Amino acid sequence: MQYEENIRVALRALIDHKFRSFLTMLGIIFGVASVITMLSIGEGAKREAIAKYQDLGVNNIIIREKKLSDQELEEVRAKFSPGLSLQDASVIKEIVPGVIYTSSQSELSTDVKYTDKSAKSTVIGITPEFVNIMNYKTGQGEFIGEKHYDAALRVCVLGAGVARTLFGSENSIGKMVKIGDQWFEVSGVLQSKTLFTETVGELAARDLNNDIYIPLSTFLNRFTHENMLASQIQQITVQVASSERLVEASTLINGILQRHHFNNEDYNIVIPFELLRQEEKERQIYNFLLGAIAAISLVVGGIGIMNIMLATVMERTREIGIRRAIGARKSDIMSQFVTEAVAISITGGIIGVILGVTLSLSVSLFTDIKTVIPLYSVLVAFGFSVIVGISFGYLPAKNAANLKPIESIRYE
Amino acid sequence: MLIEIKDLYKNYVMGELEVPALMDINVQIAKNEYVAIMGPSGSGKSTLMNILGCLDTPTAGQYMFNGVDVSQLDDDALSAMRNREIGFIFQNFNLLPKLTALQNVELPLVYAGANKHERHEKAIQALQKVGLADRMSHKPTELSGGQRQRVAIARALVSKPGILLADEPTGALDSKTGVEIMALFDELQREGNTIIVITHEQEIADYAHRTIFIKDGRIHSDTPNKKRNF
Ligand SMILES: Nc1ncnc2c1ncn2[C@@H]1O[C@H](COP(=O)(O)OP(=O)(O)OP(=O)(O)O)[C@@H](O)[C@H]1O
Ligand SMILES: [Mg+2]
Repeated sequence: MQYEENIRVALRALIDHKFRSFLTMLGIIFGVASVITMLSIGEGAKREAIAKYQDLGVNNIIIREKKLSDQELEEVRAKFSPGLSLQDASVIKEIVPGVIYTSSQSELSTDVKYTDKSAKSTVIGITPEFVNIMNYKTGQGEFIGEKHYDAALRVCVLGAGVARTLFGSENSIGKMVKIGDQWFEVSGVLQSKTLFTETVGELAARDLNNDIYIPLSTFLNRFTHENMLASQIQQITVQVASSERLVEASTLINGILQRHHFNNEDYNIVIPFELLRQEEKERQIYNFLLGAIAAISLVVGGIGIMNIMLATVMERTREIGIRRAIGARKSDIMSQFVTEAVAISITGGIIGVILGVTLSLSVSLFTDIKTVIPLYSVLVAFGFSVIVGISFGYLPAKNAANLKPIESIRYE
Repeated sequence: MLIEIKDLYKNYVMGELEVPALMDINVQIAKNEYVAIMGPSGSGKSTLMNILGCLDTPTAGQYMFNGVDVSQLDDDALSAMRNREIGFIFQNFNLLPKLTALQNVELPLVYAGANKHERHEKAIQALQKVGLADRMSHKPTELSGGQRQRVAIARALVSKPGILLADEPTGALDSKTGVEIMALFDELQREGNTIIVITHEQEIADYAHRTIFIKDGRIHSDTPNKKRNF
């Protein structure tokens, strides 16, 4: 029997019993919708995590000075630790294999002013290698380069946020701003960066758009930290050739720093990629739970379909008898009823997809949770609903096919 | 011979009990014959007809259709027999209530694997033959009893089977409509169809050329119809 005929019969049965079909579909609808919604939440979280870690660089190792109280700081200095220094950076680059770049940075929180406007900002002194490690892009002007660094020029690159606060829509390139008590010429403005809303490892959450970058040479000449004991630099960012070398390199770096800091733990080593991997592992548990929920709801949906199909077969015994009497084979009856079950489950699947997409869009719209609907989730959810239809429609269809023609045609 | 039945028995199993419905049946029916089967209620007429129509299988004995031993056929082959070789007409029509007359008539062709166009053409022809070309899109409930039976006949005819089996085709109809249906059978027989009709009414049986009388599951008599002149 032609497939098209089966589908026609199945759809008519579905439409003839709209309400009943709808009730039957509910299990599938909710199953599919919940899978899509939860997967989209998971995917949203994953994307955010990846974006966050990508900003920090997946091949990077970040060494940051530990936040210490004044008293602790005095203690480590008394134990001869000089704190993070440019020298640490150059030793790391020389000794540790696989390292391609190291970039040092020193930081200071201060006010920055332009005409009558002022903003709170973090000034970051950087070396020219910084730009090789972080893929920061200037929206306008140019980033800090060798020429600025070597001549210790008083130039700065503004984060998008600071630039907006100070200049609004006005062009800022070439203008003079006052950082602390020093005048700097704006050489560039960065593109807007995603908010750094979560603490990553030992790195505190903050808004990167409020940073101002200046050459580290200039920084060291012009600015002094409030506390005289503060280390020379606050962070060394190390880039290795590939992520496989991260662990090995970080072990070596730790060894070197321990030696240079006389076993004072006044620094932290953060490997963004490792943190990403760890988060991914945690997400796997979530995914597993999700899979279990999805499986249960789809099975429940499938049982609903089986139930209604068994009833349908009973109800239509005479129809089956008539079809058999005029020449339908067992396989024709079989495929007719499997098609009906699949029609129910696919329709449920489609409604479920629509509901799921709507739900995840509303979650993203009305809450802080970001959702991204991955295409595969729609395909998987849909594919499963087809499989459920086939597998739970099989038994009722088999019953229908095995009815004796003469008995079913006499069935009242 | 189109149909050859030898020493056929049919028992119905009811729990522990085996109820004999047909015993020692021997019949031969040639192509283009017009046979009436008569007998009291419960004598086994329908049982015999269902076996002839491949809807049921005998307990013992042989049924040869067109030289083929039907008892050797598997389910798919029996389905194909019902689909192509046999047109079955029921007392209560057995049309599918949700389909139109045309769709009902098309149904055997669907299972024969005919394409849409071919189905349409042949079904329309069959409906024209039974004089219902103007009722094609009516559902069974929108048709009179006689019209329903005509649709059922068109469905039985549509795949041009060698034989038409009718189990009390006029049983649910008034006598005038019954006569119309019988006239149609007459015409079909003249065109070369083989026809077997079960009936209670002598009037109806008189249309046939031969009458088989069944009593208590056995063939009581098998006589040519003298009232008819061919
Ligand atoms: N499915 C069945 N199970 C058990 N016994 C049956 C079954 N069908 C028919 N019988 C019995 O077989 C015998 C013959 O029945 P059948 O239906 O062939 O009679 P019939 O000649 O067609 O009668 P009628 O003229 O009333 O239609 C009856 O005694 C009936 O009770
Ligand atoms: Mg009967």
